[in-house]
Amino acid sequence: MIRVLSTNITSPLGMTTEENLLAVRDGRSALLRNERPWGLPFDVCASLFSQEQEHALLQESADAREPFTRFESMVLHSVRDALSHTDIDVSDSRVLLILSTTKGNIELLDGKEPVGDGVFPGNTASRIALALGITTKPLVVCNACISGVAAQVQALDLLDSGAYDYAVVVGADCQGAFIVSGFNCLKALSEDPCRPFDMERTGLNLGEAAATMVFASDRVPGNGGMWHLKRGCVRNDAFHITNPSPKGEGCFRALEYVTDGISAESLATIGAHGTATMYNDQMESVAIERAGLSDVPLSALKGYFGHTMGAAGLVETVLTMESVAQGWIPGVAGYAESGVSGRINASPDLRPTDKKSFIKIMSGFGGSNGALLYTMGEADSVAMHGNGTYPVGDMPVARHTVRITSETAEVDGTSIPLSCNGKDMLTELYRTSSSDYPRFYRMDVLSRLAFVAFELLRKAMGEGTLSGCDAMLFNRSSSILSDRKHQGTISVPGEFFPGPATFVYTLPNVMLGEVAMRHDMKGATSLIILPEKDSTLMSQMVYAAMLKSSCPDGMVAGWIDCPDENEFEAEISIYKHNHNNNGRIDT
Amino acid sequence: MILELKERIIDVLNLEELTPEDIDAEAPLFGEGLGLDSIDALELIVLMEKYYGIRLATASEAKPIFRNLATMAAYIAEHRTK
Repeated sequence: MIRVLSTNITSPLGMTTEENLLAVRDGRSALLRNERPWGLPFDVCASLFSQEQEHALLQESADAREPFTRFESMVLHSVRDALSHTDIDVSDSRVLLILSTTKGNIELLDGKEPVGDGVFPGNTASRIALALGITTKPLVVCNACISGVAAQVQALDLLDSGAYDYAVVVGADCQGAFIVSGFNCLKALSEDPCRPFDMERTGLNLGEAAATMVFASDRVPGNGGMWHLKRGCVRNDAFHITNPSPKGEGCFRALEYVTDGISAESLATIGAHGTATMYNDQMESVAIERAGLSDVPLSALKGYFGHTMGAAGLVETVLTMESVAQGWIPGVAGYAESGVSGRINASPDLRPTDKKSFIKIMSGFGGSNGALLYTMGEADSVAMHGNGTYPVGDMPVARHTVRITSETAEVDGTSIPLSCNGKDMLTELYRTSSSDYPRFYRMDVLSRLAFVAFELLRKAMGEGTLSGCDAMLFNRSSSILSDRKHQGTISVPGEFFPGPATFVYTLPNVMLGEVAMRHDMKGATSLIILPEKDSTLMSQMVYAAMLKSSCPDGMVAGWIDCPDENEFEAEISIYKHNHNNNGRIDT
Repeated sequence: MILELKERIIDVLNLEELTPEDIDAEAPLFGEGLGLDSIDALELIVLMEKYYGIRLATASEAKPIFRNLATMAAYIAEHRTK
């Protein structure tokens, strides 16, 4: 269990948590209609920083040595404000930085070759860590819409495992032509302020923000913090890469995990994702009803901030937490009459509460769903899993390993004969390993690489399946190939034809959605971006996640990186528990 | 027109494993038949605008048009602006 020491929200509604809380309490929304922003051929209703706000953020972060981008300046402001209320020495080796973002510095992608280092999210995180004086290696959680919730789960797992004492978790995304054109071609945007869960809802609005939560492990005594993150998890739908499961399968199972043994009456609110798209809100309502949480007051904050993507999980957790601490639940801006089939308890008006726990949920592309349980007050009896560390000699062990480069492929050290290399080699491996899944041809090269690696791994297991496994993948290049392709469709005036399929693959965790669908993997799926391959850090994270895993068959984990069509690397293994950990028996 | 449309669909949807002869102009594009999904429908909306200058506002507006290749070709013939 971990506790919250300090927070910040930086949004067009304010530069501190308090300013944002006041704005939401007063019912103010930052959603405005913008005429053809960034040269786009359509108007956009969104929550965007004003020029004055942006200028102030850039001024504040300005450094004589090198300028910071818009994205970096809002991250730095948010983290510095949050840290100013704590006495943590961030240079300590027990402090970790986790950045939650979907596209980071994507606006640096300008069509020039080679692509500048600043575009890669791991490098961005390193620059931010350096500017803040954080000395450990940072990691980037990149799980589409649920990134902010997944990043909190990552902090929980790593701090509980004993690997660190403190985690600074910051989520952020900037809006621009890249992201907005993509959501527009998906027909997901509403021209007016969004209406979560309402009968008249027509889609989402995008927003920009940064938000920070500073966590301490409960092993560390003192230094305050009254809110505890008790449980958190991610569950995949294994249904589709963009559409949520109509039964809310993953969302329901995530809710089931965090509410196990908790009465619905003890919850102040369930903080929904509530994007105001037809599919998302409908799915969430079904999952909430299935989980027996229909009577819990529902809150949804997109009508104030828009969908702030990588920041959303943190913005909404912090806002919900602070409002509940003050004894109220935000009204659902834009909501009037339920337009979903699952029974929910929503209201456009602010409501009082005297309860001290809440749940936050998120769902997103790649089939991922996340849930968190927060409780105010003293640490109590909700069990921590295990003693936090694997006994020496009992570390999870890799049972099978697949390695693929652009010229070679091997399974458990045995090479597979190949007649070509690069992208064509992946097609050859697909044809020789499975060939019964034509969807393969629809995938981008990154997903093809992941798909083939998982096929070979499953075959190496003989009769076994991967359906009872979690998956944690790492890379450096995010989804750079699809990013460049999408950018190419929006850069030439008069030739503006962004494609929905290409845009979907600009979320690199979609490769996990592909393999989860293929292998019916309904456990946790996570994508972590690092500045470079780091086996020690990766093992640490795999072990920390496995301590918490409720998947009986272990975890598929490893490196899937695709900087170029003809230059890629995959190395994944299936790890099994090697011991009896708190009743979770291994093989 | 039908052949041109088949080639364009194979191209934009990355149906590398198919040839135009594999696609039956009367077979449903979605669900059964080619088995396309909702992202493909949005991709076809982009195709309609890019090559034929036809703007479809919503996926539900496109639904009857995208029933099969023949309905799609007939709609294009009637409404194309380029």
